[in-house]
Amino acid sequence: MMRDILNDQYKEICWDTESGITPEALEQEVFELEKRFESRSKSFIKAKTFELLLEKGQIAVLREDIFQEKVNARNIMIRQRSRWWNKARENFKDMYEDVEKAGRTGTFVAYEDFGHTSSNTKMLVNLGFCGLIKQLEDAESKIDGITEKQKDFYDSSKIAISAMQSFCKRLSLADGITEENARCLKNISEKAPSNFYEALQIIVVYFYLHEYIAGTRVRTLGRLDDVLYQTYRKDIDSGLLSRESAKECLKYFLNKFWTMKVPYDLPFCLGGIGADGEEITNELSYLIVEAYNELNIHSPKIHIRVSDKTPGSFIKLVLSCIRGGNSSFVFVNDAITIKAMMKCGATLEEARNYVLIGCYEPAIFDLELPCTGNGRVSLPKMIELVFCNGRDFATGELVGVETGAINSYADFISALKEQIAYCINKALTYISTAEKYYMQANPDPILSAMLSPCVKKGTDAYDGGAKYNNSSYYINSIATFADSVVAVKKLVFEEKRFTFDEFGSILKANWQGYEKLRIEMANSTLKYGNNVDSVDDIAVEFSDFCAKLINGRTNGRGGIFKASNFSIDKCFSLGEKTMATPDGRYAGEPLSKNLCATTGKDKKGITGLINTVTKMDLSDFPNGSVLDFVLHPSAVSGDDGLNAFYGILKTYFKKGGMAMHGNVFDSETLKKAQKEPEKYKNLQVRVCGWNAYFVNLSKSEQDCFIKQAETTIC
Amino acid sequence: MKANIFEIKRFAVHDGDGIRTTVFFKGCPLRCVWCHNPEGLSFEAQEAFYAHKCINCGKCKEEGFTVLDCLGEARVLYGKEITVDELLPFLIEDKDFYDNSGGGVTLSGGECLMQADFCAELLKRLKENGIHTAVDTCGFVSKEALDKVIPYTDIFLYDLKAYDEDVHIKCTGQSNKIILQNLLYLDSLGKSIEIRIPYVPNFNTDQIEKIADFLRPLKNIKAVRVLPYHNFAGSKYTALGMENNLPETLPTDEEIKRAQRCFSSRNGNLDF
Repeated sequence: MMRDILNDQYKEICWDTESGITPEALEQEVFELEKRFESRSKSFIKAKTFELLLEKGQIAVLREDIFQEKVNARNIMIRQRSRWWNKARENFKDMYEDVEKAGRTGTFVAYEDFGHTSSNTKMLVNLGFCGLIKQLEDAESKIDGITEKQKDFYDSSKIAISAMQSFCKRLSLADGITEENARCLKNISEKAPSNFYEALQIIVVYFYLHEYIAGTRVRTLGRLDDVLYQTYRKDIDSGLLSRESAKECLKYFLNKFWTMKVPYDLPFCLGGIGADGEEITNELSYLIVEAYNELNIHSPKIHIRVSDKTPGSFIKLVLSCIRGGNSSFVFVNDAITIKAMMKCGATLEEARNYVLIGCYEPAIFDLELPCTGNGRVSLPKMIELVFCNGRDFATGELVGVETGAINSYADFISALKEQIAYCINKALTYISTAEKYYMQANPDPILSAMLSPCVKKGTDAYDGGAKYNNSSYYINSIATFADSVVAVKKLVFEEKRFTFDEFGSILKANWQGYEKLRIEMANSTLKYGNNVDSVDDIAVEFSDFCAKLINGRTNGRGGIFKASNFSIDKCFSLGEKTMATPDGRYAGEPLSKNLCATTGKDKKGITGLINTVTKMDLSDFPNGSVLDFVLHPSAVSGDDGLNAFYGILKTYFKKGGMAMHGNVFDSETLKKAQKEPEKYKNLQVRVCGWNAYFVNLSKSEQDCFIKQAETTIC
Repeated sequence: MKANIFEIKRFAVHDGDGIRTTVFFKGCPLRCVWCHNPEGLSFEAQEAFYAHKCINCGKCKEEGFTVLDCLGEARVLYGKEITVDELLPFLIEDKDFYDNSGGGVTLSGGECLMQADFCAELLKRLKENGIHTAVDTCGFVSKEALDKVIPYTDIFLYDLKAYDEDVHIKCTGQSNKIILQNLLYLDSLGKSIEIRIPYVPNFNTDQIEKIADFLRPLKNIKAVRVLPYHNFAGSKYTALGMENNLPETLPTDEEIKRAQRCFSSRNGNLDF
């Protein structure tokens, strides 16, 4: 592989200017098209727009690559959606202003979610574009008394899928393309992929067009070892493919997504059990991980599903990649995730076929439109609201409830719950309202053609066409919250060293004049992450309280809300907007991340942290939860170390953990990298649901990693 | 009955199989020149001061100060009297991790068998709770002490520093006669044993072959590990106010590999 040429393919694309019209001219034509079809549905206009862009946009071919996909029409459809959505939002403007205030002050956020989808890539590979069209036609013909709306749905989807089909044909005839690649593209434009190479090419071209041209965030390629296995097996058995040539092909495939620099990285899933309860992990699972590791890239990112039947050798292969510095993996526990999916109404067979969306949000493959990113409430901010009588401390704006004077611990707890319930209620109401307008801005004829229930019903995915039309809501920074509540309990209500208001004034003054008190609070042994019941009980009580508020509540699309318990990197931005907290944290400092302890406070190490975390029933967070580990290289060195690493994972999952990911490094290396970034350009770190180069992180994020690494026992 | 311990280390992965919790007992009869746990040498509790952690909170100048009051956690007390009943819950806490990794609890030190009655009681209670047990010993203990723990110990992690007596005296201050005898005794009883040999340039590197020859006829050696000497303990000596005479030369990876090969390349008993 000529990595340099391949890796730079998206830096400066050499468009074939003869092949089509400029993006500016294209957009003009889109405006005209919108006018011409003014009376038609947004879905139809969108399909026609997509068709226009693929027909007339300039294309580019990179001869050195074995996969092609490019057309010069990015962002046009995203702008189209923004125009439509801004208009739709006028309908609930007042609500939007409230939510904007809450977001600006770091209290809670709530948004429409057009950013998390998953389509049935297995169907794509098995049927190809023509098969998808035929499937639409068949479904259409089976509907008795078809409505105009359904007819419009089928028309739109057929237009959109045909557009991709014709585009492949167009690429196959492009100047400079290799004969083999041209044949591959021509074949997939005419029939279902007939071999491994064609299967990979159809995924590449579909993903690029759906994500970059149609503007839909495709947040997983599905269970790739399952999706591709049949065609892989067939080619290997017939001698068309060797293990080595398949690996080379996979390297081009994986590297393609790497060069695209997909925001937050594109995931796919390997391993775990299938609908029939049998393990999916196969030869291809190993091959994909090997190819990925040899490329030494961190996007796409890989979700590893772990069941009782997943081979230890496969898990250890992944663990050794992580140990070697390639940490772009997350492990997900089948047992607890399947249980969580069933709590949301899925059948056992359906639940077994979950995939992970984006970071680590489970959703049912083919049957669910997973809006897994609708917003979050910051739990530590609720403490600020109680101290400030419902107001944001920095601006004085009323963002919560006026809970009044706090005279007892019971008062404090109920005031916190009141604030939380108020915020969650506001957020969910806003989201449900916004959802009623999705079809005015974001119908998705491509996605809908790739989800069986939508095809069958003739209903768009954003119009409730999927079997499960669920939304999501997150709680944030449970550790900072629990540590703070217990600090108030001890200091104010047990030891009575300050009144509630006196302690509030100390926090508002950001501990000024009370530095010793702050250190005492920060060093307290009563910290989440150390298997201390008195603190962990608070985490359990409140996570349960929040989960009950969120789970099962109906949304605006005929589905329900699902709760999440993780922060991703929002622990930094929300921390900036949160005043000092009773746990010894200064104003503005980061909040705790995901299910982790406050940085550096899990003094018992990874085992204590897991003992704490698994006290919460994580199956009550069906939209995902994740624990980050930071292990010292010496703790996982050698065979002993690898076994211990595996032991940690197994124990976390046996005890009810859902997802786990992390880093293996020592603080010294990180400190050196902070000082001399030029020498550590390749040092990867697992940030949240994605990886980054350590040297590219902000100082505050870097410091957090260093602090975390310092706490790990070597 | 109480023991004096100075640390409980969780997620210990190199003190026997699987994920383990290691309990470090205070006090050691040997004085190895390379000792990396100087806080475990004395039988008495000792206070250490890590100057770089001091935040000048002034708490230590106040009346009635104990190390627990130190806000910067710069002052640390090594040594705590503890009963079996107090200690046991700490060790059972991580049982799920032992069970899922083939791990357990390791008693180490210092020399844990200098407090053999306590160890025996603790090990017995651990076994009652279904926990795998390992005893990490320097072997310089009485046969009676060994006999007390033998029934409740699944594996002995047995340190051998030298075969030649004069070398052993030079390295540790004591003869190794009892150590070698005790090892033969354990082997004769059929106890599982893992041998651990610190590899310290300029001190015992010529002993590896001789140790291998000595071990060859033994029947129950499950593994032999050559442990590279490191000097990470330097700051602990300073914090304890002890003189730091640690050897300076560190072994190379190549040396360690070569030494380790003495125990795998020969067609003798078991591994070597």
